[in-house]
Amino acid sequence: MSSAPLLRRILHGRGIWPAVPALAYLFVFLALPMLTLLAFGFVTIDRGRIVADTWTLGYLEAALADDLVWRLMWRSFWVAAVSSVLTLLLAYPVAYLFAEAKGIWRTLILVAVVSPLLTSALVRAYAWIVILGGRRGLVNQTLLSLGLIEQPLRILNTDWAVLIGMTQIHLPFMILPLLAVLAERDRRLEEASLNLGASQTGTFFRVVVPMSVPAIFAGLALVFAVSYTNFIVPQLLGGGSYSTLAVQVYEQTIVVLDWTRGAVLATILLSTCFAFVLAIVAFGNRLARWNESAA
Amino acid sequence: MSHIALQDIAKSFGPVRVLDGCSVAVDKGTVMTLLGPSGCGKTTLLRTLAGFVEPDSGRVVVGGRDITDLPPNRRQVGYVFQSYALFPHLDVAANVAYGLRVRRVSQAETQARVRKALDLVSLSAYADRYPARLSGGQQQRVAIARALVLEPEVLLLDEPFNALDAKLRLSMQIELRKLIERVGITSIFVTHDQQEAMTLSDRVAVMRAGRIEQVGAPIDIYDRPRTAYVAAFIGRANVLPVDIRGGRVAPDPAIAAARADGAAWLVVRPENLAIENAGEGPGWHGTVAFATPQGATIEYEIAVGMAEPLRVVALRKVGEPPAAVGSPVRVRAVDPAACVVLGEGPDSV
Ligand SMILES: Nc1ncnc2c1ncn2[C@@H]1O[C@H](COP(=O)(O)OP(=O)(O)OP(=O)(O)O)[C@@H](O)[C@H]1O
Ligand SMILES: [Mg+2]
Repeated sequence: MSSAPLLRRILHGRGIWPAVPALAYLFVFLALPMLTLLAFGFVTIDRGRIVADTWTLGYLEAALADDLVWRLMWRSFWVAAVSSVLTLLLAYPVAYLFAEAKGIWRTLILVAVVSPLLTSALVRAYAWIVILGGRRGLVNQTLLSLGLIEQPLRILNTDWAVLIGMTQIHLPFMILPLLAVLAERDRRLEEASLNLGASQTGTFFRVVVPMSVPAIFAGLALVFAVSYTNFIVPQLLGGGSYSTLAVQVYEQTIVVLDWTRGAVLATILLSTCFAFVLAIVAFGNRLARWNESAA
Repeated sequence: MSHIALQDIAKSFGPVRVLDGCSVAVDKGTVMTLLGPSGCGKTTLLRTLAGFVEPDSGRVVVGGRDITDLPPNRRQVGYVFQSYALFPHLDVAANVAYGLRVRRVSQAETQARVRKALDLVSLSAYADRYPARLSGGQQQRVAIARALVLEPEVLLLDEPFNALDAKLRLSMQIELRKLIERVGITSIFVTHDQQEAMTLSDRVAVMRAGRIEQVGAPIDIYDRPRTAYVAAFIGRANVLPVDIRGGRVAPDPAIAAARADGAAWLVVRPENLAIENAGEGPGWHGTVAFATPQGATIEYEIAVGMAEPLRVVALRKVGEPPAAVGSPVRVRAVDPAACVVLGEGPDSV
């Protein structure tokens, strides 16, 4: 009997009520497990069992005092930041092309953008090993046979390989928000700009780009988050000794089986990721203040 | 030598022929108004002149120079868009300053000119608002200021006042007219409001399905419409089927007609008809179907056995009741010389 009014509120209510099922789902299947996992960083675990009455901030403090953690975080950060910017630079022309294309061309571009998502990131990372790796890798073979280089380039197992892999793998996350905004933009504004005397290039930078700022920053936040927390690409393309914060979380938890250390690093990884994403979004909102006033 | 000349412009969108050999010429420093029903191609014609539409055939000449193939940003043709097209990411002042910034006008001069332009449209208090926070009428005025601040030689205005209230509209019309005269702007102006066309323009062009039907001074078009379509479009008009006999219009021989005997059409304005007492005599006989006092005038509809009732506008005298509905009356033309006889009727519309 008491469930009927609740159901009615969810189906017909205002404010937060319609979101209740989604919130409940997120709480049970995301927030709870996450909190449990993170909580492991604040207790002592002995042979897979939590030792009672061992709540402590000690592990976190130790991790924050550890120089290595800061160096890993710095690498995670700059790799994610650089690859986000590279993604933007590569994604924008594709999205713009899509917006200019018509009919079948649009469909083709869309399929080309989305289809990599159908293969796993792991497979794509292995593909990059084949392309970049050693003397017999695609890149080196081509350059050598063209006589452009004498010695094979060392790309695999460097920062470059990680950046290239991340950028390619996360490209769709940047292209998709841009596609929507650029394809649906109001072309009259560009006409107005031309009419007021601006060149095509001037119009692009004065009108098209500023108008897409919300989409640019949505894409940047998304790509930054997935790059910052990606542990597959650094492991496979960076090589055995290449590590980032996310790689450490994986290794401590799955390989070393030091769950406490893993959970502490995960706490640091998630909270810093959250902070960076928040900063990106806040900066984007500042640049696009005009957008809020529309609401 | 006209300043703007659109010569034989044709444009199709797919199978639809939107402009069909359209020609317009506007003299330097004058205002031409385009009148015509929705969808007849007015906006498309302006867009052709501004360079956004590439005509299938025809020439666009401004100041003696053929600019048909010139890109829009090199045309120096001011354009106030029907949909305003304000930049949402720039505040009002920056929208108005856009063209000046592009031209690298100095900061000080830009500020001064923007302030003047905003004063002109009474929006100085809104300089730092974003367009999304403005009313429709305010947005429209920003669009006007943005075009005027560049003082272009040619200015195109696509229904620039349609979102303004009557008072603001009148003051904007007067300000615009002054500015046009001071700067010597040649302009083409689209409106659906004939009153506005009369106030603002030196010449009026009536458009119909992608062609110009008639061009002339506003009063000439009102007095001497060349077709029933034009007559019905400018002001209100009765277009009546009549017979011509011996150079005279049959129901009211006071009206002369310089054409051969036979069927014809008579255009007569409602205010040029008067109601007289029923009884024998020339004129249209019928009964009062409707009478609506409108303050200074009374509007009558008189059923005379034709498809459309006759519309008559009579001056109202205080204390005098309108003719009773159903009463028999006779209608005659007040000024026979002000009537127009045409060979073709409204069927061809
Ligand atoms: N880009 C386009 N593609 C296809 N058809 C178009 C395009 N632009 C205009 N048309 C068509 O051309 C015709 C004329 O349009 P236009 O905008 O010039 O009319 P208008 O006279 O300005 O009408 P209104 O008074 O309603 O503004 C319309 O039937 C419209 O549907
Ligand atoms: Mg229009």
